[in-house]
Amino acid sequence: MSYTLQIKKNKINRQSLIIDIFIWGFLVLAALFILAPILFMFTASLMPANDILKMPYRWIPKGFYWQNYWQGIRGNDGSFIYIRNILNSLIVASVISATTVILSALAGFGLAKYYFKGRAVVFMLIMATMMIPFEAIMIPLYLVTTKLGIQDSYAGLIAPFLVNAFGVFLMRQYFITFPDEILDAARIDGASELMIFRTIILPNSIPAVATLAILTFKAQWDNLLWPLLVVQSEEMKTIPLYIVKFMAEKHTDEGAMMAVAAIASIPILIVFFKLSKYFLGGAALYSSRKG
Amino acid sequence: MSQRIPTYSIERKKARWGWIFVAPTLIFFSLFSFYPIFNALYTSLFKKKLLSLKPPDFIGLGNYSYLLKSPDFWDSMRATVVFTLGTFIPLLIFSLIFAIFIMSRKRFQNFFQIAYYSPAVLSSVVAAVIWLLIFDPRGLGNQWLNLMMNTPGIDHKWLANSVMVQMSTMLVYFWKYVGYFTIIFIVGLASIPQSIYEAAKIDGANDWKNFWYITLPLLKPTTILVSIMSMLQCLKTFSTQYLFTQGGAPLAPINVITLNIYHTAIRDHQIGRASAMSIILFVIMMLFTWVQFKTSRADEISY
Repeated sequence: MSYTLQIKKNKINRQSLIIDIFIWGFLVLAALFILAPILFMFTASLMPANDILKMPYRWIPKGFYWQNYWQGIRGNDGSFIYIRNILNSLIVASVISATTVILSALAGFGLAKYYFKGRAVVFMLIMATMMIPFEAIMIPLYLVTTKLGIQDSYAGLIAPFLVNAFGVFLMRQYFITFPDEILDAARIDGASELMIFRTIILPNSIPAVATLAILTFKAQWDNLLWPLLVVQSEEMKTIPLYIVKFMAEKHTDEGAMMAVAAIASIPILIVFFKLSKYFLGGAALYSSRKG
Repeated sequence: MSQRIPTYSIERKKARWGWIFVAPTLIFFSLFSFYPIFNALYTSLFKKKLLSLKPPDFIGLGNYSYLLKSPDFWDSMRATVVFTLGTFIPLLIFSLIFAIFIMSRKRFQNFFQIAYYSPAVLSSVVAAVIWLLIFDPRGLGNQWLNLMMNTPGIDHKWLANSVMVQMSTMLVYFWKYVGYFTIIFIVGLASIPQSIYEAAKIDGANDWKNFWYITLPLLKPTTILVSIMSMLQCLKTFSTQYLFTQGGAPLAPINVITLNIYHTAIRDHQIGRASAMSIILFVIMMLFTWVQFKTSRADEISY
């Protein structure tokens, strides 16, 4: 009796060991598939073009071929416009993150903690904008920016993204649980509503603010479609546009191309590894949107 | 009056501040969301050329009937639908598997989450540029596929063949977003209370039964959410296809609807027709969103 039980137990152990190995193998292989292209970008950015497309690919560069980075930053025409374009991306993404956080927090606070006629309608209207895809309104937006004469400028790049419905929703959800007593106590002490917002609400919403700022920054760092429409001059291009242009140029070699891509990715990857919890938490927040 | 009924005035003052806080956002959305969508609807009824000074002609539903008869438009619809189906189904299946496998491990959970999510952080332009090089005839794509299928020296024409180029765009998109949806599934999994599994264990359930009768049914809301979200994202895809055509891939097989809108408006200057396409895209996406709201409301689960 105990003997057969022993055999059965062994069998189960062996079975679960096989499943274990299978799962580990699967996860590791998937991780390799997912990480390989990123590793490819970094290793290829340090190789001369001839080595990149040689079979089989050498995953460890022979030496550090830094010329690629020099070539990428200098540009094929030697104008160093990439530096300006990186700066543009930084400016646009930072300004949009800041305005998104401030306006979302204000609106979210107003919707969560103030009772006024039409509040439900206002909230519904704001949520309804989530259903309007940017791709469907880009042409009218483009016509508006040309009419206002702000195409090919920071104002034109920034204007359509000052705030978004997801941000308002996120902040409202965050504020709704904030105790009213604290706000009332501050009012009795003579604090104005703006002061309450600045000195009580904002300092107490750092996690939500950080998540929203990071998600917004990332989305803008990635934005291709809108700059493609509104930017004409080399000086106003953002990183994605520079990459598109650099790729299309005849004299671009593969190594320099990967160097340009690596330069565009390094800052955001560093932020990601430092603050991964906000990125992962941000993805999770999206899933709470249904509630 | 404010002295006579103080509470009333405080309430009024608070209501006023509510409006003040909401006003900037509301003004913004009126200008940059509601106005443009109505403008697109209005423009779609006209024959309007970009940069043209003469007033546009009203043609009613002319743009729509033109589109419905245009093979170019239907090619775009086909490309969009094929891309959406071909991308979101693998995304759904693999992100679910990844999430379950990661959660079943006691160690390295964090490492795998970060590793799988990392492509989502890169910009889609960078992703497309990397994969364009991988899909080069002499590139890694051929080397890997030949290694797996044991067919040395064959060029699979990743970017040249019209079927392969569609698969290539799907692969790029899958690679970029699978980690993102894995995280959402992990959140869904983590919200299932452990006590349910313990109760099942007492009742003699094994891992497989646990998965089939507990995990999967309780994950239904997350699954619906992920399907709708990934479908909506796939319908809007632009960057990958744009970069691929810039990189020398043929346009026709991957001319998705957003790319067509862009070309129609910017290259062909047909603003009215592009607006009509935008409205069609908007209606399709609104239908999906409506389905999402409906289903997520009906599937509320309480433990």
